[in-house]
Amino acid sequence: MEAADFSHHTSKRFNEDLELVRAQVSAMGGFVEEQLSRALTALVEGDSELGKSVASQDFKVNGMEVAIDEECSRILATRAPAAGDLRMVVATIKTITDLERIGDECEKIGNIAARLATVERPLDRYREVKHLGRTVQLMVHNTLDACARLDASLALQTARNDRIVDEEYESIHRQCITFMMEDPRTIRRALDVMWVVRSLERIGDHAKNICEYVIYMVHGKDIRHTSLESVERQLKNHPARE
Amino acid sequence: MWLGLLVRVLLAVAAAALVGLLTGHIGIAVALVLAALLIRQLYMLQRVSFWLRRDRVELAPDVGGIWGDLIGLIVRLYRRKQYHKRRMRQLLRELRHSTEAIPEGVVMLNPAAEILWFNRSAAELLQLRGRGDIGLRVDNLVRRPEFVNYLRSGNYTSPVVVKAGGVCEQHLQFQIVRYGAGQLLLMVRDVTRQAQLEAMRKDFVANASHELRSPLTVICGYLETLGQDDTLDPALGGPIQEMRRQALRMTAVVQDLLELSRLEAEDGTPRGETIDVGALLARLRSDLLARLAHPPDVQLQVDSSDRLLGDEAQIHSAFGNLLDNAAKYTPAAGNIAMRWWRDEQGGHLAVRDTGIGIAAEHIPRLTERFYRVDAGRSRASGGSGLGLAIVKHVLQRHGASLEICSVEGQGSTFSCHFPSTRLLPAA
Repeated sequence: MEAADFSHHTSKRFNEDLELVRAQVSAMGGFVEEQLSRALTALVEGDSELGKSVASQDFKVNGMEVAIDEECSRILATRAPAAGDLRMVVATIKTITDLERIGDECEKIGNIAARLATVERPLDRYREVKHLGRTVQLMVHNTLDACARLDASLALQTARNDRIVDEEYESIHRQCITFMMEDPRTIRRALDVMWVVRSLERIGDHAKNICEYVIYMVHGKDIRHTSLESVERQLKNHPARE
Repeated sequence: MWLGLLVRVLLAVAAAALVGLLTGHIGIAVALVLAALLIRQLYMLQRVSFWLRRDRVELAPDVGGIWGDLIGLIVRLYRRKQYHKRRMRQLLRELRHSTEAIPEGVVMLNPAAEILWFNRSAAELLQLRGRGDIGLRVDNLVRRPEFVNYLRSGNYTSPVVVKAGGVCEQHLQFQIVRYGAGQLLLMVRDVTRQAQLEAMRKDFVANASHELRSPLTVICGYLETLGQDDTLDPALGGPIQEMRRQALRMTAVVQDLLELSRLEAEDGTPRGETIDVGALLARLRSDLLARLAHPPDVQLQVDSSDRLLGDEAQIHSAFGNLLDNAAKYTPAAGNIAMRWWRDEQGGHLAVRDTGIGIAAEHIPRLTERFYRVDAGRSRASGGSGLGLAIVKHVLQRHGASLEICSVEGQGSTFSCHFPSTRLLPAA
């Protein structure tokens, strides 16, 4: 099933084009992962230079999105793909939009990290944010793995992790409110932290979207706006499509 | 063999002819015997073919004559083939076991960077999964930008180290080797420990130098006061002067060590300040002339007004070190010439002196830390032994190179070559 899906083409060039697009998406994903990791390091270690450099690198993500988008349009126009190939191209176009948004959120985190580095750091050294960041990083990583391996079950499992991210987001939110009530001097910092966790939560959502595209790509089923349980039930008695 | 067979057939035909003569039907008798012979041969052929199809060597039909020979030959061929096959399989298994056991990760890639095979260490280091990942492009699974750029660059002369980050907690070193028809061998090593040791070493040097600096300042201060104290026994004057000189030298060493560790700690390309090289060199020259009691003649020639892009403090320190070195080994009667110019290759600075020069065997090692051409001379002149190491580091960070030419007894030329990307025409 796996990648063999896209390697049975009479036209060798078409095949190469598709593989190249997939590699480009992976490279973009890898860069976005790196941005996220650097943004979180900048925040946790209070490195304002690093934060600024993350924010200034976002243009590269945008450039990659435009390049892949063009390539996809070219494939659609010249090759007129059908079935699994068409699903792959469509899913890719959507995936890169979400990846670009993740890049934007990383830029925001980088900017806030640069600002937070100049103010006093809380006693817990952003432990909760760090943990949430770790969960989100793993989620993005698994999403891209599922995308590369066309692994629908990993995609489904990762999409389910979004709930954990939402719960952690909720609890940090509450914690921030408590801090603000206890000591109004921390309001500015707490608001910034809230923006960061908000961004992380959004990144989780985007990762979940990409997981849905992977399932769409493999099974040909659009599972947006449906509960994950019913998706799981459906996929069980619905084999992967050729 | 062949003759015996012929004789047997002829005998059978002759016997049939004889029987035919007696009965009067020669034709029929000969035909019958020939038919019987043919049927027997066909039957044997059928048996052999049946046996071969069953592919069980133990079931070989036990017959004599030419068919028995034939079967014996086939069995021998088969046994020999089986033996070679077994040996090959064993060899392959051993080969696979040994590559599995290599602590380095090994991944075989085809020209399109798709995975053909990988060993267990590679699976662990890169989180590859069983057979499912075979046929996938390696950069779809290992997505760290440093690695992807390395893979795509096509220049695999030196390995690349990818620092820990994101979900990967190890520092990994990747090295790609080309083999066969465009195939690639990717080797992965976990260099976390080396990276930690290196970081510890840098931290140690930085901390130790820092800790040494404050006590040295106190010692220097007191020694200076003591040196000016007239109430002390005049016999102590000499020792105090010597102590002061040594303390100052130690301060210089510590300062240079700190500067080196700062240079090492900074990564990425240095800031892009525009540096007026001519003005910088003129300042260095007047500083030197003011500092020395008997300075040699220092000439300055600026042939290009191009500005240099870089970190001004670092470039100042590098050029200053080169000039200090030249002054240190040049007698007051000698002369030093500095020249800044540009050509197609880029910008160049040369510092030429007519000093004592350096023997050829020392030149490659000059930029090592604390390397001494001869133990006596540089210590007497108060050098820290780190000057050229600092120069090398600064130049490396600016993408420039250092070239040293020297003839013992006649003098040396130290040249810095900057790439043209680091130059900016004067506004």
